[in-house]
Amino acid sequence: MLASYNLLKRFVDLDGISPESAADKLTFAGLEVEGIEHLASGTNLVIGQILSVENHPNSDHLHVLKVDEGEKFGVHQIVCGAPNVRVGLKVIVARNGAKLDALGVTIKPSVIRGVESDGMCCSLVELGVNKMFLKEEQINGIEELSEDAPVGEENVLGYLNLDDTILDINVLANRSDALAIFSLAKELGALFERKVNIPQPTKFEEVPSSVTVGSETEDCKQFSIKVVRGVKTKPSPKWLQSFLMAQGIRSINNIVDIGNYIMILTGQPIHMYDMDKCQSSSFIVKKGYNSSLVALDQKEYKVDENDIVVTNNNEIVCLAGIMGCESVAVDENSVNIGIESANFKGATVRRTTVKTGLSSDSSAHFIKGINPYQDEFVLDLTASLLKELADAQVIETSSRYNEIGTNNIQISCSKSYINKRLGTSFDLDLIKSILEKLFIKVVTINDDEFIAFPPDHRIDLRCDADLSEEIIRYVGFGAIKSILPMMPTTTGGYSLAQKKKNKVRDFLLNNGVNEALTYTLINPKNVPSFVLLNNDEPYVIMNPMTIDHSVVRKGIVYSLLEAVKFNLDHQQKDLAFFEISEVITKENDYQELAIILSGKRSIRGEINKVDYNFFDAHGILCEILNILGIEPSRYKEERLIDSCYYHPGRSVKLIVNGKDVAGVCGEIHPNYQKEYGPCYVVNLNLDLLFAMKTPSTKMNQISKFPAVTRDLSLVVSTDVLVGDIIKTIKKTGRNIVQKVDVFDVYQGEHLGQGLKSIAVSITYQDSSKTLKDDEINEVEQNLIALLAKTYKAELRK
Amino acid sequence: MKEKLQELYSRAITDIEQVNDFNSLQNVRNTYLSKKSELNGLMSKMRDLSPDERASFGQLINKIKSELTEKIENKRKEVEEKELQEKLMKEVIDFTEPNTTFKKGSKHPFNAVVDQVCEIFIGMGYNIAEGPEVELDHFNFELLNVPKDHPARDMQDTFFIDENHLMRSQTSPVQAHVMLSKNGEGPIKIISPGKVYRRDDDATHSHQFGQIEGLVIDKNVNMGNLLSTLELFARSMFGEKREVRMRSSYFPFTEPSVEADISCFECGGKGCSLCKGTGWIEILGAGMVHPHVLEMCGFDTKEYQGFAFGIGIERVGMLKYGIDDIRRFYTNDIRFNKQFDKE
Repeated sequence: MLASYNLLKRFVDLDGISPESAADKLTFAGLEVEGIEHLASGTNLVIGQILSVENHPNSDHLHVLKVDEGEKFGVHQIVCGAPNVRVGLKVIVARNGAKLDALGVTIKPSVIRGVESDGMCCSLVELGVNKMFLKEEQINGIEELSEDAPVGEENVLGYLNLDDTILDINVLANRSDALAIFSLAKELGALFERKVNIPQPTKFEEVPSSVTVGSETEDCKQFSIKVVRGVKTKPSPKWLQSFLMAQGIRSINNIVDIGNYIMILTGQPIHMYDMDKCQSSSFIVKKGYNSSLVALDQKEYKVDENDIVVTNNNEIVCLAGIMGCESVAVDENSVNIGIESANFKGATVRRTTVKTGLSSDSSAHFIKGINPYQDEFVLDLTASLLKELADAQVIETSSRYNEIGTNNIQISCSKSYINKRLGTSFDLDLIKSILEKLFIKVVTINDDEFIAFPPDHRIDLRCDADLSEEIIRYVGFGAIKSILPMMPTTTGGYSLAQKKKNKVRDFLLNNGVNEALTYTLINPKNVPSFVLLNNDEPYVIMNPMTIDHSVVRKGIVYSLLEAVKFNLDHQQKDLAFFEISEVITKENDYQELAIILSGKRSIRGEINKVDYNFFDAHGILCEILNILGIEPSRYKEERLIDSCYYHPGRSVKLIVNGKDVAGVCGEIHPNYQKEYGPCYVVNLNLDLLFAMKTPSTKMNQISKFPAVTRDLSLVVSTDVLVGDIIKTIKKTGRNIVQKVDVFDVYQGEHLGQGLKSIAVSITYQDSSKTLKDDEINEVEQNLIALLAKTYKAELRK
Repeated sequence: MKEKLQELYSRAITDIEQVNDFNSLQNVRNTYLSKKSELNGLMSKMRDLSPDERASFGQLINKIKSELTEKIENKRKEVEEKELQEKLMKEVIDFTEPNTTFKKGSKHPFNAVVDQVCEIFIGMGYNIAEGPEVELDHFNFELLNVPKDHPARDMQDTFFIDENHLMRSQTSPVQAHVMLSKNGEGPIKIISPGKVYRRDDDATHSHQFGQIEGLVIDKNVNMGNLLSTLELFARSMFGEKREVRMRSSYFPFTEPSVEADISCFECGGKGCSLCKGTGWIEILGAGMVHPHVLEMCGFDTKEYQGFAFGIGIERVGMLKYGIDDIRRFYTNDIRFNKQFDKE
């Protein structure tokens, strides 16, 4: 909302109050002033008259002028490049020392192509007036002042009605009333305790109304029309043009300008009908039409049964609250005008604007909410302006449909409630006086309770909590004492799942993996990529900004691979990334972890680096399971051979609870390595893992008896898994096999085709005695026999 | 004879002193202390002496013998020490060569902020609540006092999935979830960090960003408690000297609603480029929970009051770490991400 300070001054005494201090007060009271601008600016200006014009000797477009700047300043020579200079023209002169903010210059006497120049003749553009308000010739040449302009006048901006300051106010959804200058004037009057003077329209002798009005929809409870006859279209007076300019609106003519002016002052959008174009004298507001209309912008819009329309003889004449129809539009030849002041339901208007894509200042007001109690005032004020500025001859009485009635809002409240909410100790007198300054009537019931009657324009005040806000925004939040809450002690902290997540994060961070954060919304074509943890339907955004962010992803791996690619494209290699994020599909909602290892792992700076491999990723996976307390017996791993995203020989899936795929670990498929390079991935459904049973930590007794270590070197077929051999050894020798370490795996020319050797070192120890050789021998022999039987394992010679 | 012995002693001392290595020391030992040494030669001549002389000569020779033994032993230690030192100095390394790699990974600055905020509020007895990112309109708007077609919906341009589902545009729906789960029984003390989504994209807005919601409900919770809580937060996050000021504002689910500013931590409030000369930095929105919201979420407003606040995660990160563009949070440029390994 732009607010002209000069316009505000008309309705509230702001003498001695600078726009800056007004802005400050408004901001802390909830009407944030985001900018303070000047309609025009310039110092050391004076009105002058051109006495002579001569061509510049060294230029084909410059002229040398003699300009009379009045008695005080005399005549000065000015070199000027404007095409419209002529003898006798009255002009704006920026004198020596003039500061022109729009140009960022200070005028000084100078020599222009060999000719002395003392001052500058100005256009309004050079004084900072927005070009949108100016005619072509005003932009291209210096400003031509009227013949009666007083030469020597120094208050040039004042003379031109351009000495205005504009407050740019961010009006939030609760204070739609502040979209009216009258309300802002009341607000400032309250905040500065200054007198407010809202004009009462002059009452004219009125003739009976020639129209009837009504509404057949709940969405319009108030609809009034006042007919004014015999208006004449002409330019608006300068003062009105300037106010509109300050409000950011271009002047069109007196009739249109009055409509805009009324909305600026009162916040009530009004619409005007050319009565001579209307077929009937009956105006009915309806819903339920299924047709189309041509609006003032000459475009056609579809109307459906949910849109509110104004009808005349069953013809749609207005898309209610948004825009009127071309067929009944007021133009410069209109003589008899019907002025509409109505209250259309904001929610419905909002739905129609969203649907049609058509919106206006008027619809914006209805959507935010308007004062429903001022239709008569608005119509009378409009009529009096039409009389004053458009020579209206006959004014009819207003024809009103009103189901709203008058303002009878009451709010019961109490001093104790306000203080309990704010943590203050205001007394009732103070509360009452503040509310009354804000135009809220107060009737006290006892020394605590009272009833408040909010004024018509404050449609946001409806409950006791609203009153607490009025008090504190008026007094200022500085009145609130800072006291920490006194309440029952609570045991704060992370939940068990949150602790587990932090444990996993800390583990990864401490092992050099960097945390990443990627977008949830992705391009639909990438949605299936690298998703193996669910087969769900993704959520699709109905109103995306771009196709690239239009579907809710079903997994994080793809996004993280893209992050790797971004870095590779920027010459950053050797990357280890992880991300933990929510994955949400139509069927599921869980936290997912993705880890990607790309390039090399540094052992010692750049001196010793080794390529990341499957066992790096798998090592991380197994340690995560370990720190989460998930014992090997509670999960199994299977080769992942049927995914197009992963290398079939170098990837596994993690199965828990017998059937649930809780994760994937492996090398990405060579087909994708062209794009991302070799990458090793760990991808886990953390919620599944966090929900698993975990044993509590208990100390194991350390055996006092010596341990014996013996090595076995086995030759098996290459498809026998090392893990299975270890499991078998541990299981078979359960009582005395403490530890099984693989210290060599070999495959190559010294062995036969399809064979590999596995060397393990087995630690035997008993908790109750020193083991004898033959006891160990016996266990060892059993082991060898079992391995031979189960895996066809032979001892290597 | 005694003179001879004295002469022998002096010669031996000189020889020992001159020794620099093991071999020479061994030679000296052989010369003076072995069986064939001069000293032994002199001892064998002892029987030519008178018994009196023999006794004193014997004492003298023994004394010299033990002194020389000791001196040679000391010299041996000295030579050994010197040789070890020489050997070690040959093993010198360049300690500035690259080290073995023990590199910590970097927290993402988004989560670094979340972790710090959580820590502050956990210290005050808060729990960390979570809610879904795909949310029902009912939770994201209606329970927060924003009915269908309410103009406040235009404050947050929302991604819709269908009529009822949307990408949550704020973390505030978690308030409603938590309140409903409590069946009208206080107290509640939670914060809820998470991702939110709005149709907005430029240097200061991202279509995805983070918020941390805070909610406290109990029987005597007031605006002064809110102020004090925000002060505690501001001081823990941005330094002991931070002041908090509140300005009236509007959120549909709080009344009164405020924007909270903190005194600028860069200039201390004098005015600088960070605070655009005002001395204050806008940091969060807050307010007393609107009675309608409490009612809709099952709380008796005669008994319970509460406050809520919402902090922008990237906003805090940008201020704290001097990050210039919100999109950096989502690019995952390792040159950016790895700058936060101390967080």
